[in-house]
Amino acid sequence: MRVSGGLCTALAAAVAAAGCAAHPERGAEGGGAPPGHLAAADENAPAGGDLALQMPVDIGTAYGLDPQPADVATTWQLQSLVYDTLVRIGPDFGIEPGLAESWETPDATTYLFHLRQDAAFSNGRRVTAGDAAGSLERLLAGEGVWRTQLGPVEEVRARDESTVEVRLSRPYAPFLAALANTPAAVLPMKELDEGSFDPAEEMLGSGPYKVAFHRQDVLWRFERNEEHWEAVGADRLQVMIAPQEQARMAALQSGGADLAMLGNVDAPLLLDGVRGLEVAPQATTDFYYLMLNANAPGGLFDDPRVRTALNAAIDRGQISEAGLAGLGEPTGVTPAGLPGACDPAALPSARTGLDEARALLAEAGAEDLEFTLAIYSTAPAPAVAEVIQQNLERIGVTAHIRQLDEGSWSAEVYGDVPADFDAALSWFAGYAAAPMVGQWWNPEAAGFNAGFMDPAPELDAAIETALRAEPGDREALDALCTAVDTDAQMIPLVTRPASIGYRSDAVSPEIYATEGYGNAFRNIAHYRVPDAGGADR
Amino acid sequence: MRLLTWWARRLLTAAATLLAVSALIFAATRFLPGGFAEVVLGPFATPEEKAAVTAEYGLDRGIAVQYLLWLRNAVTGDFGASLITGAPVAEEFALRMPVTAELAALSFAVAVLLGVPLGVATAVRAGSRGGGAGGRVIGGLGVSLPEFVLGSLVVFVFSRYALGLTVGGYVPFAEDPARNLASMVLPVAVLSVFTVAATARTTRDAVLNVLVEPFITAAVARGETPAGIIARHVLRNAAVPVLTVLTTITAYLLGGAVIIEYLFDLPGVGSYVVQAVWRRDYAVVQAGVLMAAAVFVTVNMLMDSAAGLLDPRLGTAARERGRP
Repeated sequence: MRVSGGLCTALAAAVAAAGCAAHPERGAEGGGAPPGHLAAADENAPAGGDLALQMPVDIGTAYGLDPQPADVATTWQLQSLVYDTLVRIGPDFGIEPGLAESWETPDATTYLFHLRQDAAFSNGRRVTAGDAAGSLERLLAGEGVWRTQLGPVEEVRARDESTVEVRLSRPYAPFLAALANTPAAVLPMKELDEGSFDPAEEMLGSGPYKVAFHRQDVLWRFERNEEHWEAVGADRLQVMIAPQEQARMAALQSGGADLAMLGNVDAPLLLDGVRGLEVAPQATTDFYYLMLNANAPGGLFDDPRVRTALNAAIDRGQISEAGLAGLGEPTGVTPAGLPGACDPAALPSARTGLDEARALLAEAGAEDLEFTLAIYSTAPAPAVAEVIQQNLERIGVTAHIRQLDEGSWSAEVYGDVPADFDAALSWFAGYAAAPMVGQWWNPEAAGFNAGFMDPAPELDAAIETALRAEPGDREALDALCTAVDTDAQMIPLVTRPASIGYRSDAVSPEIYATEGYGNAFRNIAHYRVPDAGGADR
Repeated sequence: MRLLTWWARRLLTAAATLLAVSALIFAATRFLPGGFAEVVLGPFATPEEKAAVTAEYGLDRGIAVQYLLWLRNAVTGDFGASLITGAPVAEEFALRMPVTAELAALSFAVAVLLGVPLGVATAVRAGSRGGGAGGRVIGGLGVSLPEFVLGSLVVFVFSRYALGLTVGGYVPFAEDPARNLASMVLPVAVLSVFTVAATARTTRDAVLNVLVEPFITAAVARGETPAGIIARHVLRNAAVPVLTVLTTITAYLLGGAVIIEYLFDLPGVGSYVVQAVWRRDYAVVQAGVLMAAAVFVTVNMLMDSAAGLLDPRLGTAARERGRP
């Protein structure tokens, strides 16, 4: 993990047990982007101007606009424009100051956050420790999935107007990383408690922008939050919801969009050489995984030898090359790209040959195994599934791919307990600390997996050890990877790439090389509009 | 009296059709795997959360009960609320209707303004070398090229080469007329390929049939100009089949608009209903399909009436068979 300059890393925060105040590295003085970045905003450009952005889906509305129960990356992304968190994710996954300008860890289970004096909500009221503590208490009392990721929080309290104390019941390495995601945002608790603010109906935060207009699934308009503590670049943002990938590419071409999220793994190739258009292929920690239902009808996958054989036959490198245009990275359960991630080539499955896999199937009496692999239709999942299908043919296993819309897929995989599908393909957000996503391998913590995962005490113990271990404890993280690989009920495959297309004549963005929370708009406060000095578009 | 009876019968048939459509689509959406709670809450939701949402929206009741409740409200004009936004479906449709109406109206206008003259021109030149064959080839290509193929191709080409036209990025006409029209050119062009070809082919055939009638020979003999003959005699007598095909085109525009809106990211009713299907937003799907059926039935009735007015012989023949 890189520890440099003003960066205050998770490592430093957790281990040094000392004060930490920092300022994020910003901008590039000409030339290439700084380490950890794909692009750095031109700080010499004047602030002001408008930005037109496009993304494929709107905010999930199951819980309204409330950030705390939000569990979808696109929702986090939009909400992050309005809400701010105590700490933020920096390049290379360092932890940087957010609303907390500094923090201390007097011991491994206590965190003291010192709030900025100049942070205020867009209604002008200063952000207080009461807001921060109240928000965390509300999050922990709720049903949202992020409550699990926040870890074993025992007590949260405001020590004074600008100091928040959080005590954990045991050490929890990903705590700061979890605090940096939108569900842990600081809400205006005074207004919420008074009943003048309903977070499900509106957004009122201390982030760089405030909402000016929203029509679900069509358009958002945001205006600069003049109360935000940072210098915000663009005056106004327009975020258009454009589900069709090709239409987003066309909008970039025609100038209808200044920046757009692109999911097509061939986007860099398709837009290569177009004047004024840059495509930043951003790595993410999200990764595809294969679910083998331990409760599948006919006991298809209840024998660990069968699961191990399939795991060994899958060629992750080939999935990346053939299915993801080489943009994905083979990964274990600690997502590739995160500090401390294990080496997938060192896992037991990587050391098991095809002959050995066939022998395992023979031992288990599953030589002519045939099963159905349920996938959803969103690209590039079908391409990933086809590579898996071809890989498994090498050991005599036949996988029939069944492509469903996401609703039908979700019903099939998560609808019944015990689940009655054979196998399924999906992806997890990989988050911003190596052991975080590993929690989803424990069906007790992740109840949504209980229909198809059998409890595995050894795996659970490895997960717990990794969560308690100090950041950088490779032994604990490697043990977690090995346990997941051996269990093979959910098999990590390859990371899921994303691309951000932007017009270099219309926007000077700051884009990290790797993203953990699917937030392509991260650092948008720093973006500059090159022609901001001219007329508004 | 007979006319009133005819209208009463048509209205009853239309009502029965709409009732059947509503029942079918209600059942179809409810039998889709994956309910609203599963789709919208996602995999992380607990069974209790899913059950709570299902109960909150009344989706835990029997399908028949849900349908009857929906029907009771629908006949009073209340089509329920979107499960996603909570806003009344009628409001959601009203927000998106201008986009769809503009797309359909422009495509319809293109079909009439290009298709009819093209059909007349190719009919008049049917005997000339190349004229007839060219018209048939263009017409055949136009009616046989599915709009999702052509649309995908156009979107792909314009995503790689801007060429001065816009894919996506819809702007309301009232906000910026120039950008609105720029964003509509390609969708309208794609949607119009079939309609222009179908209109031109039908017009051509209809005009050819009229051109061999004795009254046309008489008009020529009287020394009327070709333009006058076309305007006064040919078009009126060829109008009925053209009207029929325009009726079909109206229905096609409703269906085609769904695909075109989806491909070109136009925020109209069509793309909204497609999204509603993905998200199991039942009230929206229900109302969207019913609205399309209602438009189709209404247009058919109006076109039947218009045909009778244009060619009184149709009314006479129908009356002789017990219909107007």
